Amino acid sequence: MIRIIIGGFFLLSGLFALGIATLGMYRYSTMLNRVHVAAKCDTLGALFMLIGLIIFSGINFFSLKLFMVLLFLWLSNPVASHLIARAEVRTNTNLHEVCDFIEQENLKDDVNN
Amino acid sequence: MNDGLKKFLLDFYNWVTGNGARTENEDAMTELPPVLPFTMEPDKIQSRFHEKTLQERRKDWINLHGLSVFSILYRSFSIITCVVIVGLLLITVSELPPFGDENNPANNEVIDRYIKLGGNETGAQNIVAGMILDYRAFDTFGESAVLFTGAVSVLMILSAARRKNDEPKNKLHSGFNDRNFLKRAPPIHELKDDDAILRGVASLSIPAIILMGCVVIINGHLTPGGGFSGGAVLSTALILCANAYGFKKVHEFFNERTYIFSSSSALLIYALSKGYSFFTGANHIESGIPIGTIGNIFSAGLILPLNICVGIIVAGTLYGVYALFSEGEI
Repeated sequence: MIRIIIGGFFLLSGLFALGIATLGMYRYSTMLNRVHVAAKCDTLGALFMLIGLIIFSGINFFSLKLFMVLLFLWLSNPVASHLIARAEVRTNTNLHEVCDFIEQENLKDDVNN
Repeated sequence: MNDGLKKFLLDFYNWVTGNGARTENEDAMTELPPVLPFTMEPDKIQSRFHEKTLQERRKDWINLHGLSVFSILYRSFSIITCVVIVGLLLITVSELPPFGDENNPANNEVIDRYIKLGGNETGAQNIVAGMILDYRAFDTFGESAVLFTGAVSVLMILSAARRKNDEPKNKLHSGFNDRNFLKRAPPIHELKDDDAILRGVASLSIPAIILMGCVVIINGHLTPGGGFSGGAVLSTALILCANAYGFKKVHEFFNERTYIFSSSSALLIYALSKGYSFFTGANHIESGIPIGTIGNIFSAGLILPLNICVGIIVAGTLYGVYALFSEGEI
């Protein structure tokens, strides 16, 4: 019983985070904002969901597999979002119309100075 | 309240709302460097990159050879042929048996035999592996050969063009013999491959991915998976390595020679070990390797080596397709 309550709480939290991600995809208009929302909320939502499933299934081989999935998602999802955002920054020629940014070469010069 | 606290609170309020007096450092920091927008007149682009469209070139060719009547006939006959073929196919579709009917010709004694006797005859715990690599191994051989042939033909076209580029320039076709005709400039997002985040994650995850791929291939006759899926996993490890460390790093251990050698030898082993049954009337002849106990890794006769062969072919080919279309060479 208590396991179902705790697991359900985690599952609902994950659902909430993923719902916020879906809302953000429609709410924001620029690509970088969308990547930001999707990366953060997907990572947190996956964490909550998988923890909920681990609590449901108890400690066995299946929950170990779920834990490995969790590790892999936490490694890969932020990096993939980072790469997508980097490609956007480097290829979008009209980026200065959307947001303020400092060129990377100038940033390096500032650091060196 | 003393004056110092008041001043601090006022400063804090101004800092939050952002309309306080700025210091010189802040001004210097917020002055962004001027960004040059990408400008090019559209007429200039048109004149520089205008080529004759396919339609115009075809019209010129017909006028040159005086084939206007023939071209009209050719068009009408091609349309008639297409309509006839489509009509035949549609008639065939309407004659097909209803979907899901138990008296369909697809539900015959073959499925019964696979399910009842498949385990004992092939020795594979995974019935699907027993089917595709024992009963229907020649079909799987064709699939692997199709993959390999596709990659090799692209490789042949690209390498022929590269060899042409090395010859002295022919003035008539200078546009196609340009040294950079096939090697395009790298896209802007690939210019600097100094991403420390990607490298760190790649160094952590590439060994895990390779291990996963090997497990999927070797356990192909015991659990779901097999050569195709395991090979795809292995190829993602290669692609990730190429993205994180650059294609030069991959060329150190996997280049065109390695790819051709490994894939063609795997295909040859497959063909030699399974081709004999095709030449003897497609009879199911014992391979000579004992089936062993069902459930062990060393069981199921030829299925394990065939899985490894398919895995090698698929891993090399999927990586090769990625490398060919992004770099122009494996």
